[in-house]
Amino acid sequence: MRSGIQSPVYDKFAQLAGTLLNPSVEEWKQQGRRVMGYFCLFIPEELFIAAGFLPFRMRGIGSCGTAQADAYFDSKNCYFVRHCFDQALTGQYHFLDGLVVGTGCDHIRRIYDNWQHAPLKTPLLHLLNHPRTMGTPEMQGEPMISYYRAQLARLKERIENEFGVEVTVPRMRKAIKLCNETRRLQRQLYELRKADHPPITAAETALVMLAGTSAPKEQYNNDLRVLLAELVASPGIKRDYKARLMIVGPAIEDPNFYDLIERGGGCVVVDDTCFGARTGSAVVDEMSEDPLRAIAKFHVLDTVFCPKINGAHVQRIKVIADAIQDYRVGGIIGQGYVACDPWGTSYALLGPHLKAAGTPFLRLDREYVSTESGQLQTRIQAFLETVGGQV
Amino acid sequence: MIVGGCDLGSTTGKAAILIDDQLFCGDIISATTKPALTATLAMDSAIKKAGLKSIADLEAIVGTGYGRLKVPFATDNVSEISCHGRGAFWACATVRTIIDIGGQDCKAISLNDNGGVTQFEMNERCAAGTGRFFQVMAKVLTCGLEGIASTANISANPVSISNQCSVFAESEVITLINEERPLPDIITGINKSVANRVSSLVRRVGVNIDVTLTGGCSKNEGLVKALEKLLGVAFKRLPVDPQSIGAIGAAVIARDKRQVQLAKAASANPQLGG
Repeated sequence: MRSGIQSPVYDKFAQLAGTLLNPSVEEWKQQGRRVMGYFCLFIPEELFIAAGFLPFRMRGIGSCGTAQADAYFDSKNCYFVRHCFDQALTGQYHFLDGLVVGTGCDHIRRIYDNWQHAPLKTPLLHLLNHPRTMGTPEMQGEPMISYYRAQLARLKERIENEFGVEVTVPRMRKAIKLCNETRRLQRQLYELRKADHPPITAAETALVMLAGTSAPKEQYNNDLRVLLAELVASPGIKRDYKARLMIVGPAIEDPNFYDLIERGGGCVVVDDTCFGARTGSAVVDEMSEDPLRAIAKFHVLDTVFCPKINGAHVQRIKVIADAIQDYRVGGIIGQGYVACDPWGTSYALLGPHLKAAGTPFLRLDREYVSTESGQLQTRIQAFLETVGGQV
Repeated sequence: MIVGGCDLGSTTGKAAILIDDQLFCGDIISATTKPALTATLAMDSAIKKAGLKSIADLEAIVGTGYGRLKVPFATDNVSEISCHGRGAFWACATVRTIIDIGGQDCKAISLNDNGGVTQFEMNERCAAGTGRFFQVMAKVLTCGLEGIASTANISANPVSISNQCSVFAESEVITLINEERPLPDIITGINKSVANRVSSLVRRVGVNIDVTLTGGCSKNEGLVKALEKLLGVAFKRLPVDPQSIGAIGAAVIARDKRQVQLAKAASANPQLGG
């Protein structure tokens, strides 16, 4: 669904979100500057910005299939990594000067393994060890921060040595402020969706968020400020919806998925997804004397975690409970794609919990790049008929 | 009030007409390659059975099923989950759990005491546990769907079908045929395999009595027996054709919607309300 808002900055965001080698990346490269690709949310963009790189969050947008990637993966591997890897094998990621793969789920880790053996000539390839646990009582806090800080220090040193750059404390502080500003602005965008009739649809929000994964932060922040001012001044989108919904789960790159739900009469007001609200759930301490430690702390203690982190279920329940209250959510759709085991197993806990709490919950499996299917439509329509209390 | 419902499924088209509370179901029509034609054939049959002149006699029609957006004469469309819920509850108000096994999917639907859908589960994107699975097996066994459904083919020594994928299960059945296993043993094994698959869906929504089976596969007595045994309940037999429940529910919903529409019009213009 489109709100019909006439906004050149929104059009720019949609263009940035729609391709890998988008105009921002092209312009950046033409200036002789470097791009650092990364998987996934626990990777410090601040470090790359301080080193003079454009951080580029890896995506599968534009993929037409997984034929080449399938040779490298097992049938148990998810389609997010297959589509991303297929894009790499077909030369769509030739602009990368480096790739940092976090120890996210096992599927993401296989990207790192395969990237080493595939004929891909990315100058720097690094596996960043991020703790896969909220920590036992004795490990929580300082030991976890120290551990991740050490991993970040190793990465920083490697970037400095291999590219001949210096990542100074002032540069890191500046980068932290820049990234925090992005997070705050994105939060403001979500705040607007608390209204009875939000001025922006879920699909449009998704494109704005996706644009932020590959645009230089100064430019993105400036454009987002303009868009926010326009949205604040615009009337909400008047539509009769059956229910206000929250979407949870792994990465959603295809705005058509949100469209499908909203065309069916749902109003998606909030999410807990990889490219969505989870991105701006907290900010890094800007005043810390040790910026690297502040970044480490943010990524092991402060942010919202996905199910790849052991012990994050309690936090997820709270995030969802808060969203239900703040955004007046009437139903939750837990989406995922085939073989996404972290979310698949997480729903086994989440589903019964929501049912017991009386919150309508729909579990949906979808394709990664194409969301249109009769069965998906039927499930969404039936769920909305159930939640809305009227057929 | 005269209203109708049309259920365009993956393999058949069904239509039902309600004249006040009197139900008329049309013949089950095999799906053609043109959904609009299938819908028209199904509705024409129901119109004839109801003794009406034409579709113009109907005040509201709800389309449902996979082809619900392609029913050319529908005034509204509703998911088959809601329609099966409403249809089964209309036919028998004690029903709380519906198991619908159609041509390309199966669903378990839970109802509250007012007949509203509280929860549903559907099969994943594969043919296991659906009518398509039976079609594949009937072809391999050259016994027709009637042979699979026949009580004469219920055996006390069913084979075990380990694969749930239709393609792999087909290979498994071919092996069993070549081992010269008795046909009833294989057929009972096939029905048991589908019942296993479907029962897990039902357990997710909860087995609340009365439980009833709808959809084309509800006519397979071998499957009915296997599923009843697995779930430990005797299914409620509906007083109407269980394959037409989706269309019946669509007609009931059409009636409700039309009543709301008329009430709104009457309150907006009291003179019209008489």
